[in-house]
Amino acid sequence: MSELATTATSAPLRDSGARAVRLEATNHDGCFLGKNVSPKKFAAGKDAGFAFADLLFGLDLGNAPVFGSAFPAWRGHLDDVYLRPDMSTLVEWKPGLDSVIGDYWLKDGTPVPICPRNLVRKMVERLAGLGFTATVAVEIEATVFEESIHEARARGYRDLSPLGGSAGTAYHLAKSQDWIDYMNAVADRLDEVGIEWEAWNDEDAAGQIELNIAPGDPIKVGDAWARTRQIMREVAFERGHSVTFMAKPTAGYGQASHINLSLQRDGANAFYAENGPSDTMLHAIGGLLATIEGNTSIVLPQITSYRRLVDLSGPPVTISWGISNKTAAVRAVCGHPKYSRLEYRLPGADANLYLALAGVLAGVIAGVERKIAPPEQVTDMAWCLPPGLGIDRIPDTITKAAAALDADPILRELLGDEFVDFWIASRKWEWMQFHTAGGDPFSELSEWESARYFELP
Amino acid sequence: MAETMTAPTSTSADAAEVDVRIEDDASPLVRLIGRTLRDSARTGHALDTLNRSTGTVAIRSHDTPQAATITFGDNGIDVSSGVLVEPDAAVTVDLNARFAPTADPSGDTDLAGGVLQALTPPLPGWRDAAQRFWDATRSLPGIPDVLIAVTEGPEGLEQAVLGDGPTQYLVAGAPETLAGVFSGADDLVAVLSSGALGIQGTMSQLSVMAGASWKVRYDV
Repeated sequence: MSELATTATSAPLRDSGARAVRLEATNHDGCFLGKNVSPKKFAAGKDAGFAFADLLFGLDLGNAPVFGSAFPAWRGHLDDVYLRPDMSTLVEWKPGLDSVIGDYWLKDGTPVPICPRNLVRKMVERLAGLGFTATVAVEIEATVFEESIHEARARGYRDLSPLGGSAGTAYHLAKSQDWIDYMNAVADRLDEVGIEWEAWNDEDAAGQIELNIAPGDPIKVGDAWARTRQIMREVAFERGHSVTFMAKPTAGYGQASHINLSLQRDGANAFYAENGPSDTMLHAIGGLLATIEGNTSIVLPQITSYRRLVDLSGPPVTISWGISNKTAAVRAVCGHPKYSRLEYRLPGADANLYLALAGVLAGVIAGVERKIAPPEQVTDMAWCLPPGLGIDRIPDTITKAAAALDADPILRELLGDEFVDFWIASRKWEWMQFHTAGGDPFSELSEWESARYFELP
Repeated sequence: MAETMTAPTSTSADAAEVDVRIEDDASPLVRLIGRTLRDSARTGHALDTLNRSTGTVAIRSHDTPQAATITFGDNGIDVSSGVLVEPDAAVTVDLNARFAPTADPSGDTDLAGGVLQALTPPLPGWRDAAQRFWDATRSLPGIPDVLIAVTEGPEGLEQAVLGDGPTQYLVAGAPETLAGVFSGADDLVAVLSSGALGIQGTMSQLSVMAGASWKVRYDV
């Protein structure tokens, strides 16, 4: 019997009176995709799955088919893959509409090898085989503008007015009320849908917010991330504003998706040691740094992602780690049995969090399995370091990062050749589209990027 | 470190050895220019220009921000992205029409004319182009075992069959169209979209062939 059939849930439908159920999942780019089905259709298909054309993994953000390499073996001529809902995620989205998140499966009952959520599950199961569970958290950064999305479109997504004004940076409470009202409305919606959040605040750039999702297991946090972004968009629309998760929506500050992570074993934090990092934490750091060049391609997926990598501006630029050092790529928080953790500071706000989590967990798994020793920590500022110190810089273009992923044996083994080859081909396509279809590498932020990335993913 | 290739790579009697260097992590346009200049050197085309020791020429796309600079020096030719210096000449071209100028050149018009000539090496015959295409791309993962190029010649339908095996891909078009695609002068998908080419094969094979087209056009 197929895995599809054996693992399908038979949980009963909620008797919510909803007139539709929205099926949800992300594609590789992190776009939140799905369809609305009637309750009757949902009941009939929830175990077997719902057909989606495989082109959801075959189109770019401009709706062009991605060419350049062989398709995975399961892709045909717009053949179907199947979204099977994870009934534990079924919620009332709003009166009359339920929503459920799912994974993509093939006809033969095996997971679609490039399905982002399935890849996270694969890493979680591998980690469990080592005796660990992971707790992760994500910081969602976004910029909100006064203008509606219609107005933003009309302006080519440029020259917009940051909601809350342009004065001040980070943590200011003296924002104008419209900004506060927006975030309160977002928090209300998160509460209604059952997404636990911990904090939100003014971030570095004008109009920018940081929203912290509560720590949890990787799949649930990935689900919360995907839904939170949808809620932020919906609330912005309702209030006549617009919001973007571009890595750099203006020529100013960029936007990140820092991932915080710890491992637990037998209910205890395996990263905790009384005096500094535990051996497990050190191995995790070793694995994260051993894979960071390849993972750069995954966590900095778009052309604009790389415009963030500017010394002294916040994001890491070197392959480095340090205890309590936020200028390094991996920050170690040590000395507390509950809070000891790693902060992986490279991902952009434009990363698909599921894929970012899969890549980060792969690095951690490799480090723990192979007992990879990390390099010496950086105790100085990790920006603007001169050459000759043995500290390399993070790949700073989409092509360099893709080449690094191509050459990474660890990520190939853990994430699978099929995903790696697919991803590299899609990044090569993105690079080609940028250059040949209107992007300008010499501008701070080209119109092509604004048009392509402001609304998606 | 710059990538470098010394032409010639074939046996053209008029071939010249010219170092054409492109910058690290080069853009598609830089790669296209570098590959085209190497083709010119390989075929002995526009040697007066290729052997210049001075001169800087800006190449700009007529419909996108793509731009590059060709710099002639004592030790060969460097191609780099953007136009970061004041060039001796500047040309604006249609990159999907084999560097056809879309406006009058500015600056040193002789230099500009020479560069435009160097950027338009004569097309090989369609059979030669198909063979070179096949030699360059046959090892790409997923490429069909057999490439069949079909055209209509004076005697009726002609075809070239390259490779051997169970999977095949057919490309049909006018001789000039085939030569343009197989030599890299034209982009496969762009030509396909224009309706000037017919293909038979799977969608996955088309995707691979698009990558193969990039390989001969951009050397990626």
